[in-house]
Amino acid sequence: MVKYLAQLSKLKFSEKELEEVAKQMTGIISLMDKVKEIDISYDPLLDNKNIYLNDLRKDEKKESMPTEKILSNAVNSNNCFVVPKVVE
Amino acid sequence: MDITTLGLQQTSELLKKKEISSVELTQEYLKRIDEKDGELKSYITVTKDKAIEQAKIAQEKIDNGSATVLTGIPMAIKDNICTENVLTTCASKMLENFIPPYNATVMEKLDAQNIVMLGKTSMDEFAMGGSTQTSAFAKTSNPYNKNCVPGGSSGGSATAVSADLCVASLGSDTGGSIRQPAAFCGVTGIKPTYGRVSRYGLVAFASSLDQIGPIAKSAADCGTILNAICGSDPHDQTCSLNPVPDFNALIGKGVKGLKIALPKEFFDKGIDDEIKQSVMNAAKEYEKMGAELVECSMPSLKFAVPDYYLLACAEAASNLSRYDGIKYGHRSKEGDSYAELVINSRSEGFGDEVKRRILLGNYALSSGYYDAYYAKALAIRQRIRQEYAKIFENCDVILTPTTPTVAYGKNEKITDPVAMYQEDICTVTVNIASLPAISTPCGYNKDNMPIGMSLVGKPFDEQTIISVADAFEQNFKSVKPVL
Repeated sequence: MVKYLAQLSKLKFSEKELEEVAKQMTGIISLMDKVKEIDISYDPLLDNKNIYLNDLRKDEKKESMPTEKILSNAVNSNNCFVVPKVVE
Repeated sequence: MDITTLGLQQTSELLKKKEISSVELTQEYLKRIDEKDGELKSYITVTKDKAIEQAKIAQEKIDNGSATVLTGIPMAIKDNICTENVLTTCASKMLENFIPPYNATVMEKLDAQNIVMLGKTSMDEFAMGGSTQTSAFAKTSNPYNKNCVPGGSSGGSATAVSADLCVASLGSDTGGSIRQPAAFCGVTGIKPTYGRVSRYGLVAFASSLDQIGPIAKSAADCGTILNAICGSDPHDQTCSLNPVPDFNALIGKGVKGLKIALPKEFFDKGIDDEIKQSVMNAAKEYEKMGAELVECSMPSLKFAVPDYYLLACAEAASNLSRYDGIKYGHRSKEGDSYAELVINSRSEGFGDEVKRRILLGNYALSSGYYDAYYAKALAIRQRIRQEYAKIFENCDVILTPTTPTVAYGKNEKITDPVAMYQEDICTVTVNIASLPAISTPCGYNKDNMPIGMSLVGKPFDEQTIISVADAFEQNFKSVKPVL
């Protein structure tokens, strides 16, 4: 199970780490299982009151952040992000 | 008189009367940080040169009469709030070298009033924790006992205020991360109503729960800072359009006739006796001042901790999927394919607690488990909101302890995630229900460690909780830490 979750989460663990994490996750999930003790269901109509739609931004053309600023925390080559080769 | 012990209002007065210049004041604080923070480790980055530059500009504003109450006030900022051209690490190796190309909205607002930023404070990695011991760079100590934790995740911000290493600070609160460290360090902190303060530029943990707020030496000082940082923002559509009042307007009006509710589950077993006693004594003080105490109940409190962790971790797992090692953040030197590079960057960059929460979040959201965990957590959130609404039908504010225990030893609990999570029992329901709450000191235990109480308000009623906290603070004799 933890191996599957690690895969979903794009994380890797050594065999030794996996053992420790599995132990901790068992404890954490048994704490989470408390929510199974109550039989209620979610009503989506009650939610989403926190989104304020009556003041949406106008769809106007605006200056973007300059490319060099966007790339200032990345490996930058010719004003592009650099990734390993993805197409053979 | 040691100038660094003063609160915001008094410091501002001195600047206005020109009894001290903004540069001199800033230098006093930088000197104290030099002397005391080596051991306390509340700051990750001290922005000395920037602070002096800002102080010079602040002084010009003071001299030409365009200063506000915050002009020239030395403040500390939690290291998950983006500061343009200043390192913002989130206390994670993942963002060890991250220099934001923009300011958070709260920074724009504070800078518009010419505060002086002394530096960026330590925290639990990505704000995930209650001890500041998961910080990759500065495991902060409690000023009252350096062997104890300062709380978290805004532990650096609380310690810096408590130890007079700034006048006030900003923290962020997802499940108690302003109020709990404020309680552990004997200072005052407020988590505003969800939507009061823009989250633009706050590094996201759990977007439906996160909220920025001040930590300061009094409720009034918190109100003054809130006055500056609130308001709608085109960059954050969850930021409320409600008008922003003067948050200190009700201070001094007294608590006569006010109804204060005490939910019995918050005074049950699992809460230290000394803390219960201390909060009950505060309740009696309020009664003497003319308030009426009301009994009430929150039956769903027993589900609050798992409910919070399911919601927060599900959101965190989604939010933290942006860290791929490519756009910004730690990039692994290993990895020949895109997939390998992402996995290696994340595995090297995130610490253990962050990884656990990502795993838990993806568990709750994964096929076959979604309904049993995440959808159920959403349902319990609605139930907790309804229970709060019902309590508020018959009261103005709710009084609870802020924490079940006082600050604990640095080696206790932090290796046991389940024990750590249960420490959040007194604070998480406020975030779940989007409510405002303030924590202020209400006593000290037998070992002289601070005890905090929380006043929870109706949605968008920060004014009342600030004035009720202030009413108590006026007669409370606080004890400074000995450093």
